[in-house]
Amino acid sequence: MTTVRILEIVIPGLLLGGLYALIAMGLSLQYGVARILNFSHGEFIMLGALTTWTLFTALGVNPFLALAMCGPAAFVIGFFIHRTLYKRLLISSPSPAVFESSSMLASFGLMFVIQNIALLAWGPEIRGYSYLSIPVNLGGALFGANRLVTLGVAIVIGMTFYLFISLTRTGKAIRAAAQDPAAAGLMGVNINSVLALCFGLGAGLASVAGMLISMCYPVHAVMGREYTIIAIIVVVLGGLGSIPGSFIGGFLLGLIGSIVTQIEPGLALVAYYAIFVLLLLIKPTGLMGK
Amino acid sequence: MLEIRDLCTCYGKVQALWDVSLQVNEGEIVALVGSNGAGKTTLLNTISGLLRPVSGQITFLGKMIRGLPPHAIVELGISQVPEGGRVFPEMTVRENLEMGAYPYRVWRDKEATLKQVYQLFPLLKEREKQLARTLSGGERQMLAIGRCLMSRPRLCMFDEPSYGLAPLVVAEIFRIIRHLRDQGITVLLVEQNVRRALEIADRAYVLENGRICLEGACTELLENDHVRRAYLGL
Ligand SMILES: Nc1ncnc2c1ncn2[C@@H]1O[C@H](COP(=O)(O)OP(=O)(O)OP(=O)(O)O)[C@@H](O)[C@H]1O
Ligand SMILES: [Mg+2]
Repeated sequence: MTTVRILEIVIPGLLLGGLYALIAMGLSLQYGVARILNFSHGEFIMLGALTTWTLFTALGVNPFLALAMCGPAAFVIGFFIHRTLYKRLLISSPSPAVFESSSMLASFGLMFVIQNIALLAWGPEIRGYSYLSIPVNLGGALFGANRLVTLGVAIVIGMTFYLFISLTRTGKAIRAAAQDPAAAGLMGVNINSVLALCFGLGAGLASVAGMLISMCYPVHAVMGREYTIIAIIVVVLGGLGSIPGSFIGGFLLGLIGSIVTQIEPGLALVAYYAIFVLLLLIKPTGLMGK
Repeated sequence: MLEIRDLCTCYGKVQALWDVSLQVNEGEIVALVGSNGAGKTTLLNTISGLLRPVSGQITFLGKMIRGLPPHAIVELGISQVPEGGRVFPEMTVRENLEMGAYPYRVWRDKEATLKQVYQLFPLLKEREKQLARTLSGGERQMLAIGRCLMSRPRLCMFDEPSYGLAPLVVAEIFRIIRHLRDQGITVLLVEQNVRRALEIADRAYVLENGRICLEGACTELLENDHVRRAYLGL
């Protein structure tokens, strides 16, 4: 195989991987810390993508400016959803297991609500726009500048996020709450705020990923479901609750997807499922799980 | 310093504490003893705000604290070393200690507090970069105590700190508790090792089936027939 051919597989794989990594880190916060297996995760991706598309095509807003608006907006919405809906479920649940199932059902409901609102607002059509799609020569292979920029942005956001979780006071509180919420409370962590923060950050990351996706791939109102499934697979692959695991797992799955697509386009999702099932059978704790 | 009056706590429909009244004065070591399932952990968790009492009063330094969330209680100066230590397994020893200094009141001075804690537990300094889950049971308990001290508490509550540990480690833990008292930290000590607890404490309460059935100075309780028969095996 020539270098060009390898690059043609690896770069798109990394691009896909960067997006998966962001999505999975978001879900990892919601599921690993806040214990919500959020089936509406993909809907925040879709909202980020379609909002960016509308802002760009209708108002000519630069997608990166859209990112600076959508990310924080999604964070606030997510934070608010936790404060109202999930916090109430948490209080009324007699045990963590009951909360996990009731919050999952609630997120299903939310998924349908958001999806239908999106269908009303944007219709079922597939949308796309072209921004920065100038070809760039990389070692003999040609890639759209938009894709390379997207990859770079995904890596920068992912790394920043990782540093935030590892080094800051709030990041440590998030990790402590993931490992033992009651003990974190005894340390002085305001558990309800941290859980809402995690849910909001997850929504924010999803929306940012959605914006990046809209720069590279066609987007539509029911695109979310596939990404939700992928996010769940990556979170399990990386190890539940492990942020670096989700980051690395995302890139790994993206590369696998890219290789499989080269062999037989359309089989990528099948390959993901196969990996998922194998993983559950062989190492259910994931790559970096304990 | 800490005053509890007629406290009742329930788990769902099951009542675990019945009209518990208890007082801890500044500078004292107060022991709380009782058999398994008596409600000792329930009482500490109610004070810490992890459980909400159904009735009764809790005041700390003259302030009503009943119903406050756990983080507000730590901020006021009550810290707990929970049963089994409950250190964060996937964090390093140092990160665990930093978590102890999480309240704003102490976060800024955490480096200075850390130095003091390392002085008290030189072993923790050696293990600084190790993940807490790789520590031995005794080391983990030391870490839990160190983490509690990082919040510079005025009242320190220990939940069975010596449980399941080797005699040498137990002696070390009791040495530390005595040291804390000398530093002016008030201690509420839950122990299943009743003899040791009564030897170190000033006063003690005996909890049975969720009720306080005996209280008094430790010297008296050590002579009490019921205590001698039920808890000291004499
Ligand atoms: N989460 C819970 N849900 C329901 N009941 C509980 C719960 N935790 C404790 N209990 C019950 O409350 C009572 C008091 O339990 P608690 O843990 O406070 O006892 P303890 O004195 O700390 O015992 P030990 O010495 O074994 O630690 C017990 O009857 C126990 O079964
Ligand atoms: Mg107990």
